[in-house]
Amino acid sequence: MKQYINVLDRPLSKGKQEVSLSGFAFLFSELVQYNQTQVDNIAELERRLEDAGYAVGARILELLCHREKGNRRETRLLGILSFMHSTVWKALFGKVADSLEKGTEHEDEYMISEKELLLNRFISIPKDMGAFNCGAFVAGIVRGVLDNAGFPAVVSAHFVPVEGQQRPRTTILIKFAEEVLQREARLG
Amino acid sequence: MIVCIAVVGHQNNPLYIQSFTEADDALKLHHIVHCSLDVVDERVNNPKKSAPTLNETFLGLLYPTENYKVYGYLTNTKVKFIMVTTDLDVRDADVRNFFRRFHAAYVDAVSNPFHVPGKKITSRTFAERVSTIVKSFGLNSAG
Repeated sequence: MKQYINVLDRPLSKGKQEVSLSGFAFLFSELVQYNQTQVDNIAELERRLEDAGYAVGARILELLCHREKGNRRETRLLGILSFMHSTVWKALFGKVADSLEKGTEHEDEYMISEKELLLNRFISIPKDMGAFNCGAFVAGIVRGVLDNAGFPAVVSAHFVPVEGQQRPRTTILIKFAEEVLQREARLG
Repeated sequence: MIVCIAVVGHQNNPLYIQSFTEADDALKLHHIVHCSLDVVDERVNNPKKSAPTLNETFLGLLYPTENYKVYGYLTNTKVKFIMVTTDLDVRDADVRNFFRRFHAAYVDAVSNPFHVPGKKITSRTFAERVSTIVKSFGLNSAG
């Protein structure tokens, strides 16, 4: 290692791969507030947050696939779901998602749940907004990743009350399109 | 000597085509790229080998024509990179290395929040990085 005489001559460090939570929370709250001024109803607000998340999802898929060693393309449903559940969550939130479940009623539904989404940590929803969940942003990210990986799906975020806990658990519900199930059945 | 590189989206729409020769046979090169897309689709849909190589990104030599060789590379999002070269003896490792650096430049271009996915890549930085990579490819495999 060369010793630099002048501290200004030293090369810049690579920096930490993290962003401060408060900085992100502030930026996200501004995003929500800006969208609130542009729309009249809740459904529209959710859709806008989802669209914002979609753009992030598309890019994070490209980035992660390039950085991951091995770089295999996921063609199976379980493959892409476990990729989402561990790799994407780790890159975005620093930890893997709490759980991944298969829906019981329908064949094409899967759920990723978190005790508390990092996004919602500093957000409290006023009563008159009903069932609105800022996790729609994360739902958009998931939809962006799945769509660009070749698994079109409809993704939404819901609150699920859990007894023993004050705040309800957040669940991201993923409903895959018909063609994905057919392809999966064909691949056996 | 690389004569042409192309980035093609997942619906086979062109995202970026660049040729590196002075002669203006750009149309012929575009045509060659277009034909090689068929070969890519064929490779993807009918894998010759068993499961382990099913999800490889580097597709290898797609087809050799008169005096060109065409190499392909497929990313996770079905975006294809096509490279046309006139070199007769290109090492496999060199081509893989080229595609690795090209993929890095592509990911950086797509991470741009102003880039609309599905539209052509208009970033000048991307064009410059690609020219650098292409030039250094020629130098490395000349020996």
